[in-house]
Amino acid sequence: MDNEEAIERPETQANDWLSSVSGDVHFWVPTLVLIGGLLLLRWVS
Amino acid sequence: MGQLSSPAEASSAAHPALVAPERVRALQRVGVLCGVAAGAWLGAAEVPTKLVSTGLSPVLISFAMVVGVFLGRWSLPAMVRGTSGIRADIVEAPHLVIWAIIAGCLWSVANTLTIFAIRDLGLSVAFPLWNTNGLIGILWGVLFFRELHQAGWRRWGAVCGGAVVIFLGGMLLARASSSQIASHVALRGIAAALGAGVLWGTMYIPYRKAYLSGMNPLSFVSFFTIGELGMMTALAVAYMGSFGNLYRQLTGAQDVLFWLLAAGFVWVIGDIFQQYAVKYIGVSRGIPISNSNQLWGLVWGAVAFGEFRGWQHGAVAGAIWGSVLMALGLAAISFSVADNSEYLKWAEAAEREHRRYGIDIEFVRSGMQGRSTNPPQRRTWLDWVLVAAATGAFVWTGLRAHWPSIALDGTAAVVLLALCLALLAACVAALWKVTRFN
Repeated sequence: MDNEEAIERPETQANDWLSSVSGDVHFWVPTLVLIGGLLLLRWVS
Repeated sequence: MGQLSSPAEASSAAHPALVAPERVRALQRVGVLCGVAAGAWLGAAEVPTKLVSTGLSPVLISFAMVVGVFLGRWSLPAMVRGTSGIRADIVEAPHLVIWAIIAGCLWSVANTLTIFAIRDLGLSVAFPLWNTNGLIGILWGVLFFRELHQAGWRRWGAVCGGAVVIFLGGMLLARASSSQIASHVALRGIAAALGAGVLWGTMYIPYRKAYLSGMNPLSFVSFFTIGELGMMTALAVAYMGSFGNLYRQLTGAQDVLFWLLAAGFVWVIGDIFQQYAVKYIGVSRGIPISNSNQLWGLVWGAVAFGEFRGWQHGAVAGAIWGSVLMALGLAAISFSVADNSEYLKWAEAAEREHRRYGIDIEFVRSGMQGRSTNPPQRRTWLDWVLVAAATGAFVWTGLRAHWPSIALDGTAAVVLLALCLALLAACVAALWKVTRFN
């Protein structure tokens, strides 16, 4: 998608942004570790 | 967002040919200095907590410290950079707010785990276990951010060997300390300490991602602390049953709140230096160096609080050897600076962020070089309100604080404080001279 098209269609831009985040391994690794940490905390407390 | 630039434009995002080798070396020197100062200040953050009586709930102690951290993380950046500058940075890469909040949540959960680890194992044993975060950080740095790629076996050996030596030194210190303190080793405590290490080690993924994207550390920490305070409040309410209970416990601890807020504030200074260290020398070098906070904590305990008194000769020798090992590990990593070939790999990792999120090429390039594309902003009324609110909170709690009855060697404390302040002054001067705090 080029810049002009993205400016004209903000909802598409938002979808691109979300898909960039949700497809990023840098997002999922910390998120999964955080969930694991919360489960561990529940066990140790 | 999300649009790709041309390959030619992308490849010039942060190409080392555009960065003078002297500039790279200057940034690395600043990064190492920041790592050392981070260790000193993160270690000093333990001091105010020593002044607090042990009758308080550990979760309350953690919560009050996080409130101090929150005050520090908004007032210091507001004073140094201004909220307008922070806003301008976030507009360039708004997606990083998500990572800042995740990192803050990771910090809070890890910090709470350490409380349970200390409860089960004691501080001296738990500390080196969660300091494995340096090894986790190296793993993520290599896997995700191309750190140590094309670094050569010598740098690999220095960084990984140094990190392992620091870990061994930490274990030796723990053994020396634990032989003097009655504690039982429990599987639950070990799991909590190692879990905290994994969470803190993983927290460096958002850090490194932000700084490869060109983000200013002072801007990143402002959003980081929203996740931090939000998660810590949720945990505190969950453990205490309700907001009302949390409030009642806080008001009941008025005479020690100042020390806990101060611990959080001192911790923020150390953490900001750690952020700059991660930005300029990467996770794999910055974190092991700043993990020297364990050594500083021991020095404060031994010299200022006289914790060595009554120790057996073998335990003192163990503590000295552990400290020497940690210092050797630190030296190995500090002198193993990245050369241009490794810097090229960092630039490739930065290029990924530029391509994936469509971050302005100049923003990425100048951020990696310790420069800013945004002109300095004037301070606004909001900045002064934030500074005044934080100052007011410290003055208000300070007026209600009591000096606890604890043996403290005043001369030693002054010397250690002077050392910390000297490192602070050196870092501030170096950061200002080389990066203007970018």
